[in-house]
Amino acid sequence: MKRRLIPLLLVLLLLVLSSAGGVSGHRLHIHHQVGAIDIKAYYGGGTPCRDANVTIYDDQGNLYLVGVTDESGEFSFPPKIGLDEYTVIVESTHMVGHRGETTINMSSSSGGASGSSGEEMPLYMRIVAGLGYLLALGGAAAAYSGWKMKKKYEGG
Amino acid sequence: MVHISDGILSTPILVFGWAISIVVMAATIWWSGRRRDLAEEIPKLSVMTAAFFIASLIHIPVGPTSVHFILSGLLGVVLGVLAYPAIFIGVVLQAFLFQHGGVTTIGVNTLIMGISALIAGVIFRAPAGRLRLCEVSTGIVAALAGGVGVLLAALFAALTLIATGRQFFEIAGALVAAHIPIVIIEAVVTGSIITFMLKVKPELIGLGRSQCET
Repeated sequence: MKRRLIPLLLVLLLLVLSSAGGVSGHRLHIHHQVGAIDIKAYYGGGTPCRDANVTIYDDQGNLYLVGVTDESGEFSFPPKIGLDEYTVIVESTHMVGHRGETTINMSSSSGGASGSSGEEMPLYMRIVAGLGYLLALGGAAAAYSGWKMKKKYEGG
Repeated sequence: MVHISDGILSTPILVFGWAISIVVMAATIWWSGRRRDLAEEIPKLSVMTAAFFIASLIHIPVGPTSVHFILSGLLGVVLGVLAYPAIFIGVVLQAFLFQHGGVTTIGVNTLIMGISALIAGVIFRAPAGRLRLCEVSTGIVAALAGGVGVLLAALFAALTLIATGRQFFEIAGALVAAHIPIVIIEAVVTGSIITFMLKVKPELIGLGRSQCET
């Protein structure tokens, strides 16, 4: 009797172990949270644009949220499920007359992507471009003066 | 920070700014062309416009905000009436290349800084022509004109912003207070540059050497 009982117990033990499946003692939890969209407003030169009024519109142009930037010019807002595009307008209160606008598109930017308004060309390039126009203007005028003087000289 | 951005002012004010700016620009070019050869003035205008264009990048943090150099007074003193078209070109370049101010507000912004430059020019030229001023006193008058040019730009900007529904004194107080450091620095800069020009090439600012030989 005892000889039969031992293999039976072993088989039973094997069955119990194999049918246990996942080990719930080491369960892995996934908690998810959709992060906020963070914006930072600053004046040229880097001074934070604090206490500024922030207005956010959805892609239809409807008002979504309003708020005020903190001391470091930052403001965060939760994105709405199903809404991909936000137009953010920041209006300075300490320096009335200053306003910035940018469009944030969630579907075209991947996780952690950031962007800013008006940063397509590096600053030094824009300075060189501006000076180039002025140099061309000055040069054209100088060339015209020279041509006129030459004509006068040749004529006289 | 006297460059007003897009989307702040109403359409009638923007149109008014453009209209007045175009008229004043045409008048200043016509006035200048009658007395001098414009083609000879343009290289000088380009250099001063370049200074105006770049100056807006130099920022000074003041309290909760920051201000930048304007140089409207200096342009008025050096260029006279041609400061107006120079400022227009500078404002256009700043709007398109630095996104500084706005495109629709180019007219209004030119008006704000241009008129203050013209007044600064008058402040400098009125006594300089009559009183036979010498280097030091010319420098002082230039410094005064340079400072007033910036102060007026801040005041005119405040005047324009009344349209946003705020009290004039509230905006003017904040704008002028923030610009006090710039007024002082630009007064010193304008005074120094004019004193230097007077020594090196007084013809550049329309003053002859003879004015100091008494």
